Amino acid sequence: MNEPWIQLKNVHLSRGGRPVLKGVTADLAGRAIGLVGANGAGKSTLIGALLGVLKAESGMIHVLDLDLPRNAMQVRSRAGVMAEQAGVFPGGSGVDAVVFAAMLNGLSRRESLRKAHRALDALDVGEERYRPVRGYSTGMQQRCKLAMSLVHDPEILILDEPTVGLDPPGRTQLLNLIRDLRDEGRRILVSTHIMHDADFLCDELLLLEAGTVAFSGPIRDLIDTGVGVVVAAGEGLDAAFAETLGQRGYDIREQADEHITFEPNQDVELREFWQLAAERGAEVRALGRDLPSLESAVIRAMEHTDEQ
Amino acid sequence: MNSESRTPTSAQVIAAIARREITLAMRRRLVKLLFLGNLLPPLVMGVILVVNTLVRGAGIENLEWDPLARLLQIQIAPVLFLALGIGTPLVARDRREDVLFLYATRPVTPWSYTAGKMLAVAVPALALLVIPAILIAILRMGLKADFGLLDSITLITKVVLVAVLVACGYSGVSVGPSAATKKARWALLLALMCFVIPSVASDIIWGHHGYALDPGQASEDVISALFDNDNVSQGVVGAFALVVWGVLGSFVTATRIRREMIP
Repeated sequence: MNEPWIQLKNVHLSRGGRPVLKGVTADLAGRAIGLVGANGAGKSTLIGALLGVLKAESGMIHVLDLDLPRNAMQVRSRAGVMAEQAGVFPGGSGVDAVVFAAMLNGLSRRESLRKAHRALDALDVGEERYRPVRGYSTGMQQRCKLAMSLVHDPEILILDEPTVGLDPPGRTQLLNLIRDLRDEGRRILVSTHIMHDADFLCDELLLLEAGTVAFSGPIRDLIDTGVGVVVAAGEGLDAAFAETLGQRGYDIREQADEHITFEPNQDVELREFWQLAAERGAEVRALGRDLPSLESAVIRAMEHTDEQ
Repeated sequence: MNSESRTPTSAQVIAAIARREITLAMRRRLVKLLFLGNLLPPLVMGVILVVNTLVRGAGIENLEWDPLARLLQIQIAPVLFLALGIGTPLVARDRREDVLFLYATRPVTPWSYTAGKMLAVAVPALALLVIPAILIAILRMGLKADFGLLDSITLITKVVLVAVLVACGYSGVSVGPSAATKKARWALLLALMCFVIPSVASDIIWGHHGYALDPGQASEDVISALFDNDNVSQGVVGAFALVVWGVLGSFVTATRIRREMIP
């Protein structure tokens, strides 16, 4: 088990008098952590707090074992951030912007130039690096933003909606680049609305729902908490069978001919199903389990939090 | 990966911001023209100095006219254009392009951001004032036998003092308004108002030859006090006014930016 590199303990943070983070607690140790949640769930606020830009009213925030906001400057110099709402440093070319990002992290002009070209090469930015950033496409802007976040060789990357606005090929290409960075050993926090991206990149998830933690931990744990949907086929699996199953606590999704699709909720071993089949003399020919996708698991966890 | 990355010092951050802004400004045609145009006054003043010295040497008549003080007074105009041209878009552009949070994701504090932007105006302003003035001072030392090293050091100290005060005041009066708006043209208008309104206020309070509150007249008063030994109290008030403009501009910028450097 890795040591947690993000530790949050009962973090409360309000903005404009409105509570945004309400007692957020999580220990996150994954190589790539997905920060997911609906709009207004508190993702951007949490990123601000992790950089020491926003100050929590109470609670404890540690990033790389550094207490925040006291060590904000140290965290920021060890982190590379790709912000969603902020673009590229304006006024010059792509390479100018990346060089400037490096110099803000204390690198010399010569070193910054060398590292900027290296980062842009790694992200497949060709001659376009010399064009003014004003004319960049969304894809090129995202690459440039990623290069700006990488140029000073940070230990951790915080990426806010890195694939937003990209076309499918561009998205795949950028996701592959980020995955390569993760595989190189960099620790990454990705804030995203797109569950496919989180599934593709992350091994751990922090799910926020209205400022509270709906789930935190390895993605496989979230998916495994749902038993999934079961499809059964066989003689005797008729409407009456489905009705009785429903009375015994199952969610019946569909019943047609001799097929029943149901969600067994807490009955992981399907005891009630087998017992009823024995009682009715039903002959089960096929039984399959359809594990939930990350998306449905997230929705389920959010609904669960809402109910609470 | 650099696991031992050091936090950059404020000086490094300030220098990085100032350097970038100066580099970008120097790519603009207007700024290039201003710098090229600035070669002219020192050349003319140099010629006047040579003529002045030759005339004195021939024992004809002493032209009681100090080219250095006149040069500084003339140079105030290009410094004003330069400060307004470079300074007024600086923060407004960052606000319009929504990149202030980008600075906050780096080891940049609102104060180092402000200092970097102010320095981006102050350094070219200093260069416009100090370099030609020092050239003339050196020329004078070469031409005038009675003008020694101590005189030169005194002269250069005065020039540097004027330049620092003017650079401080003009950077405050251009960067401050820039932080107050998202459009450079509004910032320019605000900056011009900082010249006009205090000047009118000063006229109303003290009359035409009273103390200067606006940076333009304050600069004139400081130069007169230092080089013509004229109206020292006005010079002191002028110097104070320039410092106040600088402090006010940086305070407005840092306060405004602090609120916007958030996600």
